[in-house]
Amino acid sequence: MDNLNYLFAAYTIIWAVIFGYVFFMHQRHRRLQRELDLLKEDVDEQKMD
Amino acid sequence: MGEKNIVRSNILLGLGFALMTAALYLVFIFAPTEEAMGQIQRIFYFHVSMAWVAFLAFFVVFICSILYLWKRAIKWDTIARFSAELGIVFTTLVLITGPIWAKPVWGVWWIWEPRLTATLVLWLIYIAYLLVRSYAAEASRGARFAAVLGIVGFIDVPIVYLSIHLWRTHHPPALVSDLVPSMLLPLLVSVAAFTVLYIILITRSISLSNLEAEVRQLKDARANQRRS
Amino acid sequence: MKGLFTGVFAIFWKDILSELRTKEIATSVLVFALLVVVIFNFAFESGADTIGLVAPGILWVAFAFAGMLGLNRAFATEKENSSLEGLMLCPVERHVIYLGKLAGSFTFMLIVEAIITPIFLVLFNLPVCMPRLGIIIVLATLGFTSVGTLFSALSANTKARDIMLPILFLPIIVPVMIAAVKATGLVLDGGTWGDISTWLQIIIAFDVIFLVVSLLVFEFVIEE
Repeated sequence: MDNLNYLFAAYTIIWAVIFGYVFFMHQRHRRLQRELDLLKEDVDEQKMD
Repeated sequence: MGEKNIVRSNILLGLGFALMTAALYLVFIFAPTEEAMGQIQRIFYFHVSMAWVAFLAFFVVFICSILYLWKRAIKWDTIARFSAELGIVFTTLVLITGPIWAKPVWGVWWIWEPRLTATLVLWLIYIAYLLVRSYAAEASRGARFAAVLGIVGFIDVPIVYLSIHLWRTHHPPALVSDLVPSMLLPLLVSVAAFTVLYIILITRSISLSNLEAEVRQLKDARANQRRS
Repeated sequence: MKGLFTGVFAIFWKDILSELRTKEIATSVLVFALLVVVIFNFAFESGADTIGLVAPGILWVAFAFAGMLGLNRAFATEKENSSLEGLMLCPVERHVIYLGKLAGSFTFMLIVEAIITPIFLVLFNLPVCMPRLGIIIVLATLGFTSVGTLFSALSANTKARDIMLPILFLPIIVPVMIAAVKATGLVLDGGTWGDISTWLQIIIAFDVIFLVVSLLVFEFVIEE
């Protein structure tokens, strides 16, 4: 009664979900970065004027 | 983020990594194979750790919800929100790893047993918590409603557990106090590793959300400046 | 103390009067509860041998769903008629509004249950054992409506109000649901007070805890 495949599945899913959450956080970060870049461009433009 | 904060978060990351590696070693190499259940019992260590962290996360939601309604500081709402999110992530994992463990041991994926059922109800309550926030007309109202549910939901949990316990008295084995030391150590290290993981993830989420608020403020200020 | 009572009664009486005039909620809830009983009868193919197992469940699903329908209207009507603002301008504390609305919903639900229960018992050929079943119904309904009034006020202020109430309400009332179904099953099998006392205690504990908690947090739900 080893059932290593079940054990493997359990630990794989644990890491898959945690990485999924980290990826989700990363997406949030990227969206923020984009907004920040836009803001920067805006500031630079105004300086040129 | 200040210099001190960066140092602190790096220490936390290092600690998390070390603890997680130690936990993996203890779970897979150090811990003896359980006699009745075999290798599959090794799910237990992470399963229980995640259940603990989920409970901790929901407790944080409860405390921060009370503090938010009392003090009305946005930071309490932010902590409650991300703690609920993490709590749901870990409860989901508990609900997935539970059946994977149950199938080879009990021969079925799911039984309507107190702990399983109570965990499922808990999960549903906090899904509602996130939904109420996204369905509220304004963010401030959503925060208030979510706080109310954060309090009501957490108070409900022990009553849910008690009623389900009386409904189905089917005791699963493995209480922490009966564990032999060679199994207790892996469990404790796993719990510590997951607690640190929780702290890392929540501080990250909170600082991200603070940044978000700052960017939004700057944008509004810009827009006003342009108009004038 | 006297002021509290008059305030609660005024709001309660307002709800009763408007309901007597329109009969909007009671009729639809009543018909709906009856339909649930009939439909579930088909869903479970309840023959003579299985009735004891499924009957309590059918009764309480009917009550929970019908109750939700009624609770949804409790604050939705106020919101639609823009009378919630008027209610909030009343020179009373917020928890008086909560207690008044709770008294209204509680009474409506009890009336509906008083009509549905005998019909249900006859349809399923069950013994009519009123006192014990009556107590279970009154206590469980108090639990349903104490949480339901709070969430009704909350969901009336969200965008998807019809779906929000069930999502919030159902997971929270799990303990009452379990206890009520179990106790009803025991009573229909001829159980004594002693048999159902554990379940009654759970329902009473739920009622007390959520009445107090709802009173404390209600003001945060309707403040603008």
